[in-house]
Amino acid sequence: MLQGPSDTLTLILAGGKGERLYPLTKTRTKPAVPFGGVYRIIDFPLSNCLHSGCERIFVLVQHLSAPLIRHLWRGWNVFHRPGRGNLEVIPPQHKLADLWYRGTADAIFHNLDLLQGLRPRNVMILSGDHVYRMNYRRFLAAHEESGAHVTLAGVKVPLEEGNRFGLLENDPTGWITAFREKPEDPAPLPGDPDHCMASMGIYIFQTETLVKSLTKDARNPSSSHDFGKDILPALLDEGARLLAYDFSGNEEVPYWRDIGTVDAYYRASMDLLKDPSPLNLWDPEWPFLCHPDSSLPPRIGEGTECRSDILSPGVRLEKCAVTGSVLGPGVFVGPGARVEDSILLQDVRVGPGAVLRRCIVDAGVRIPQGAAIGLDPEKDKRLFTLSPSGLTLVPTGLPSEEGFSETLI
Amino acid sequence: MARILIVDDEKNQRLLYREDFEEQGYEVRTAENGLEALRLVDEFLPHLVVLDISMPGMDGMEALSGILARYPDLPVVLHTAYSSYRDNFMSWSAHAYVVKSSDREELFSTVRRLLDEQAAKKNQAGTKPAEVGE
Repeated sequence: MLQGPSDTLTLILAGGKGERLYPLTKTRTKPAVPFGGVYRIIDFPLSNCLHSGCERIFVLVQHLSAPLIRHLWRGWNVFHRPGRGNLEVIPPQHKLADLWYRGTADAIFHNLDLLQGLRPRNVMILSGDHVYRMNYRRFLAAHEESGAHVTLAGVKVPLEEGNRFGLLENDPTGWITAFREKPEDPAPLPGDPDHCMASMGIYIFQTETLVKSLTKDARNPSSSHDFGKDILPALLDEGARLLAYDFSGNEEVPYWRDIGTVDAYYRASMDLLKDPSPLNLWDPEWPFLCHPDSSLPPRIGEGTECRSDILSPGVRLEKCAVTGSVLGPGVFVGPGARVEDSILLQDVRVGPGAVLRRCIVDAGVRIPQGAAIGLDPEKDKRLFTLSPSGLTLVPTGLPSEEGFSETLI
Repeated sequence: MARILIVDDEKNQRLLYREDFEEQGYEVRTAENGLEALRLVDEFLPHLVVLDISMPGMDGMEALSGILARYPDLPVVLHTAYSSYRDNFMSWSAHAYVVKSSDREELFSTVRRLLDEQAAKKNQAGTKPAEVGE
């Protein structure tokens, strides 16, 4: 008989520092970064868990975790059902030593006692910083039916982009034959010369396999204690059965994005504005849950031009132009202001006559009256970080003095 | 000469194993609990630790964690009167698990095997300097 999600423990790795997402990760861990107006990135894997019946969840946090913990506490009590499910946040406890987690595998090794108590049949390992829709029931069923020691989710990517990912190579029946980390010459999928299979960093382990490989890895001083680099290649070398699960072929919406960099964050945000959007946030069969920081209605005042935007609760637009942008809860844009192709996180205020183009503005920032950001890269560079693709990143903590405001105009 | 650290809360057991291993040509030190063991691991720099689990104060499982954090490849043989600790996932981190018995041959052969493996690993590393530190 197949075992269902109820016999599977889900561990969500949510400790990432997210240095390449800076300054969005200046004050919060990557999974807590706001996305799509009302969401935090972790809402996507958590919503998938909820719809897939995976209701025993531990979220392993580490750096800058307070905003994430607050979000989970306020927004995600839906799993608290005695006897059925639970979501618990596990901070680093330094039980083993005075060490922070040294890698994804180390994070779980430090928390072996969580597995000890529950003795689940399988452990599903997810990352808290991916935006995607995935039915984990199918993933689990494929794992159980195959008898694999580990099942890894893989997504098809164009062959020419294969050098950006950890790639899975498998035989025609799905058994993995090799891992290659960012190879210069990616091997195409069997029967599909234009694509290769990238590991999504999403795994289901038989519990015993997981514990054996983690404890063995812990004894290896040259290991970086990482699933992709150490644990899985070692298992393959030892002859373990590793199955590739074709996410792209099993999902109606094969959309998956690793929000690793500011540019990736921006591109995924802009995907939401496409018509049709590759990730449908409005599908009643698979809603993504969130806890917006405002419950006020959005208001679009008279004389406002508003086109191809996502607007969150509490947004107020007054006689301004906002196009191609994602606005978080409580954002205010004043008269005469223009916001183009930008992302404004919650409670940003754009003063009258200000212009923003291709900007990401962090929560609570006040953009002074008449300021122009994103129009002159040379000027922006002196005050802000520019992303590789030329986005202007406006962080929290800007001075509010008059003199500073003038430098923005 | 290989150095072995024996950790056991029972004095008679410590004496017994010390004699046994010294007869086999090892240099031996003993500790009576986990805390003392961690101190001696730093001071004596053993090649192998024989570690009892159930001890007053810091027990063997906790000491094992401390050893792993500092000397991950130092072989540890969990040596206990109980087989039930095998259910504890942390015990899987040890290089071996031997249930105490009046016939001590299993312990001796396990220790020999692990020390041989360790020596072989070191030799391998020595002959291939390019791999050291990888």
